[in-house]
Amino acid sequence: MAEAVMGFTLFKSHNLGSSLQRRRFQMNHSSRLHSNSTLSNRPWQVSEGKSKRASLCKVNGLPDWPLMAIIVEHMEGQRDLITSKSVSHLSDQAIKNVYTWYIMFTVWGGLFFGSMKDPYYDSEAYRGDGGDGTGNWIYEKQETMEAEAREALWREELIEEIEEKVEGLRELEEGVKKEKLVK
Amino acid sequence: MAATYYNLQSPKTFPTLLRNLPSIPSSHVSLLGSLDYPFHCSTRRGYHVEANAKKKNPWLDPFDDGDDPEMETGSLFANGLQEEDPRPPDDPDNPYGFLKFPSGYAVEVASLALKVRGDVRRCCCVISGGVYENLLFFPAIQLIKNRYPGVQIDVVATERGKQTYEMNKNVRWTNVYDPDDDDPEPAEYADMIGILKNRYYDMVLNTRLAGLGHAAFLFMTTARDRVSYVYPNVNAAGAGLLLSETFVPDSLNLSDGGYHMYHQMVEWLGRPFRDLPRQPVPPLRVSISRKLKEVVEAKYEKAGVKKGKYVVIHGIKSDSQASMQSRGDPDSLLPIEVWAEIADVIRDVTPLFVIPHEKERENVQENFDEDASIVFITTPGQLAALINDSAGVIATNTAAIQLASAREKPCIALFCSEEMGNKFVPQAEENKCVIISSKTGKLIDIDVEAIKTAVQTFNLAPVLV
Repeated sequence: MAEAVMGFTLFKSHNLGSSLQRRRFQMNHSSRLHSNSTLSNRPWQVSEGKSKRASLCKVNGLPDWPLMAIIVEHMEGQRDLITSKSVSHLSDQAIKNVYTWYIMFTVWGGLFFGSMKDPYYDSEAYRGDGGDGTGNWIYEKQETMEAEAREALWREELIEEIEEKVEGLRELEEGVKKEKLVK
Repeated sequence: MAATYYNLQSPKTFPTLLRNLPSIPSSHVSLLGSLDYPFHCSTRRGYHVEANAKKKNPWLDPFDDGDDPEMETGSLFANGLQEEDPRPPDDPDNPYGFLKFPSGYAVEVASLALKVRGDVRRCCCVISGGVYENLLFFPAIQLIKNRYPGVQIDVVATERGKQTYEMNKNVRWTNVYDPDDDDPEPAEYADMIGILKNRYYDMVLNTRLAGLGHAAFLFMTTARDRVSYVYPNVNAAGAGLLLSETFVPDSLNLSDGGYHMYHQMVEWLGRPFRDLPRQPVPPLRVSISRKLKEVVEAKYEKAGVKKGKYVVIHGIKSDSQASMQSRGDPDSLLPIEVWAEIADVIRDVTPLFVIPHEKERENVQENFDEDASIVFITTPGQLAALINDSAGVIATNTAAIQLASAREKPCIALFCSEEMGNKFVPQAEENKCVIISSKTGKLIDIDVEAIKTAVQTFNLAPVLV
């Protein structure tokens, strides 16, 4: 109890906004105090139970965690009630990073998850142009259609020409036959 | 292809008989010309070139002295027309497996061989103007097709002019771009340059009068031959630098030339080359697809006429864009009152009025007859199909008279003056075309009586057919 109080007062005497280094030093101070007490082998302290020591060890195990206060309330015949108060501050850079990631995730998530189930992309207006969903697009272009129509026109004309020639040949043949018949 | 094997031979190694005799009379000067032109041969060269052809632009290629008279053609170079299929034969024994072309065929210099031979595989025509101007370019397209077998011809035309190519079987792709637009939308401009550049044309023909700006547009297509009309005035300054062949038109308006408005370009396209004679200019022909015929048949049957039993009347005055006039003849539409007078004389066949806009329907009904046969047609393809099924055409100077002569239909053409008629319908008799022109030079003063007598002879035509 006495130690805890001592530690509390010790902490309180310092500015809360002091640097991490200094806090670490303070914690070391407190732990040193503690280790000193364990090493000193005083009977009343040893008999007072392991809970207090354990809590103090935990504090020591996270030296970067800035500790504000440890309150140990001691009551006779009961276990000690230990309250540790700590304040954590993120640096400006760390806060910026956190918010950056938050924004980036939100934007990406908005785009990604927003486009996952969009009826527009399954609609005729979007798929009708030839999107097959694979990213390979086959456009049905007006120009291609027109070019094909002209090709068909060319073929039609060719067929007509051939037919005309064939008809001419047939007429010739018939003429020859008739001549033969006349003979 | 074959040009990669081309090896230089000194002139003495082969007999003179095998040598191709150049058309230039003094070939020995040209022999030296390739070496010493820039220093002391320039004046002589200028003389020779002038004697040979028109003046060459020395800025384009200072080392270009024309054809090499020493070049032997015939054995390795294919003389005459180019081969239709440029694809080299497959070589299954090619050690490189996946490369099917014969060894020795260098892809990288294939286009060089094309240049040496003067072959054209892909050709682009940038046509300015509307339906009429595009229609009159058809013979040139046919000429290119005949002169360069296997060529793929694409067209860049205005929105209105593009519709004409529905009737042309020789064209592959058509794109809409208005070459007459002096300040085009930057995005459209850049897009069109990209499209044309990506197609790797061998030749670009352009009928818009080019200044430096339009010449730059053509230059940026990176076509090998950029053949263009230029302004006949100072606006052409600098255009020649970016073009490989320029034509100076007779006037600022190319359409003033009438039917032969592209005569300079056509002359150049059909020029004799090596042992090829001059390519004759084919007549204007249009082809009409079956689909188009069906559509138009449904249209005129709905208007209440039968196939071969009607006369197409085209050229009703209207503020519509679809009047299909020539730019060279602004006075070429008649008001409906005059048309009604003319149509009254037609007896044996039904007059079928072609209106360029629906709002004209009422006017026709008012002036002629309540149940007059009227079809609403704006595209040249449909007009051609209509004329194809008709007994004949009566039209002012619109695309209809050219279509009638293209489909060999009898035609009565009304012109504002005699010379205009001769310009736009040069072979009137051959085309079964009767030209009736106004005496005063204004179409509105046209002699209706003369038309009526012409129509009388025309009435007999379907009986004879």
